[in-house]
Amino acid sequence: MSTVAWITARGLLGRRRFLLLLPLPALLVALAVLCRGLGVAPANWGPPVLVGLGLAVVLPVVALIVGTGVLGAEIDDGTVVHVLTTPLPRWQIVLPKLAVAIGVSAATVAVPLFAAGLLASSARLGLALAVAAALGAVAYSALFVAASLLTRRPVLLGLVYVLIWEGLLSNVVTGTRVLSIQHYVIALADRLAPTELLDTTVSVTVAAVMTALISVGFALLAINRLRSFSVAGETS
Amino acid sequence: MPEPTGVIHDIGYQRYTGPRLGRRQVFGALYLHGVRTVFGLGRSAKAKIFPWLVVGIVVMVAAAVTAISSQIGQRVMTYAQFADSMSWLVIFFVAVAAPELVSRDLRSGVLPLYFSRPLPRADYPLAKLLALATGLWLLLGAPQLVMFFGAAFTSDGMGAVWDELLDLLPGLLYAGLWAGIFASVGLLVAALTGKRAFAAGGIVAVFLMTTPIVGTLTILPSETVNQLAGLASPSTLVQGIGIWAMRDQIVTSLDGGGPDLGPFGPVYALAAVALIAACVALLLARYRKVAAR
Repeated sequence: MSTVAWITARGLLGRRRFLLLLPLPALLVALAVLCRGLGVAPANWGPPVLVGLGLAVVLPVVALIVGTGVLGAEIDDGTVVHVLTTPLPRWQIVLPKLAVAIGVSAATVAVPLFAAGLLASSARLGLALAVAAALGAVAYSALFVAASLLTRRPVLLGLVYVLIWEGLLSNVVTGTRVLSIQHYVIALADRLAPTELLDTTVSVTVAAVMTALISVGFALLAINRLRSFSVAGETS
Repeated sequence: MPEPTGVIHDIGYQRYTGPRLGRRQVFGALYLHGVRTVFGLGRSAKAKIFPWLVVGIVVMVAAAVTAISSQIGQRVMTYAQFADSMSWLVIFFVAVAAPELVSRDLRSGVLPLYFSRPLPRADYPLAKLLALATGLWLLLGAPQLVMFFGAAFTSDGMGAVWDELLDLLPGLLYAGLWAGIFASVGLLVAALTGKRAFAAGGIVAVFLMTTPIVGTLTILPSETVNQLAGLASPSTLVQGIGIWAMRDQIVTSLDGGGPDLGPFGPVYALAAVALIAACVALLLARYRKVAAR
């Protein structure tokens, strides 16, 4: 484990505010247990809990907070200079940070999703959801790490994507689902464990190819942006 | 020992003898500055991007709705329904504006400067809250005004315009309700952290995670729980009050539609009052003791 990854993980997990991320996954499991316990049919509670909460809210929001936290927070308070002045190639800075972001958000999201999927139908659905969410975490993290190098307000840019593009637009204009990570994750999970609970219009091939493209593309973009990164004071 | 030769020169220092403005003016200045901050006025172009993006989308939707309804000759959505359909944008707007209002002051440690003025503790958060609520109300009210003018100029006769006005007023009231609830919850979350990024993420997380709770509660096998489900999320709470107090403005489809509240309409109103009161109380408690840094 490289030093950069170690520092990043400590900066992310060593703070009290990391605990603020836990209510989201806990809520996911709690709702699943509640529905299961009261004997509601999985066909009824599956879509709102698994997709509506798990894949549409918990995954992007956790990935957003973690993904912009690994690099954006350092840029925000100026300590990124200490890392940049070391004789490390830029990819050795970006990739460990990206790996930490992926690891943390995948672990935070995949575990509760596995539990919820298990309660909804079977261990297979749980595994499928966990694997798909982990793949989604890779794509989201790459996107948000790149966003924190493209703009000084990465969280807001990420929120525009999550809220307006994925939340608002892809429900109204179904064509935009081709460019929505949320629907890739749904398509992948549905392919791994075909059930009635998951429903999307994106094909599996498109989902797999686009997830890979987004992950690699935005990671390269982030490395490239860090190469010509200029340190500036806090702008208004 | 030589005599000291230093002289104290009168270089013209003067005491301020003009009028000293009091608490009201401080509050007013803080409020006005807050409203300007919400929309990024008086700030760089970068600070204006996100607020005006939301304003632009909302006004464009209103203009589109007006154009469509004047073409087909009947109302597409009522003024109150407009506020409901914009809920995601309202959440985003709160996530943009609330951290700008309070998190920046916490982060740069300027609160001691504020409180060294004749400004009671409670006034600072209240002025910020009022500013955010005003901003949200303008965000939801301005498009309704666009829709009103569109409808007023295409309708025939003063009677029709008067009817439109009677529809607009509850819509504006409803927008005020949205503004009050979302501003108090959002500002409370933002006041917890000095980092704007975390504040924005936290606000969105709080608002978004509550909506699926409602979705789950409405399918539980208990009618009472189903009817009370809307209490779990701010946006459905507002909607519930709307359905209780002005049903004809929210529900327009003939087959009923909208969530069923049963006899619990007043509970929704009480819950909203309690929510705002709790948020304001917690906000005041937050600012009772603030570290300088």
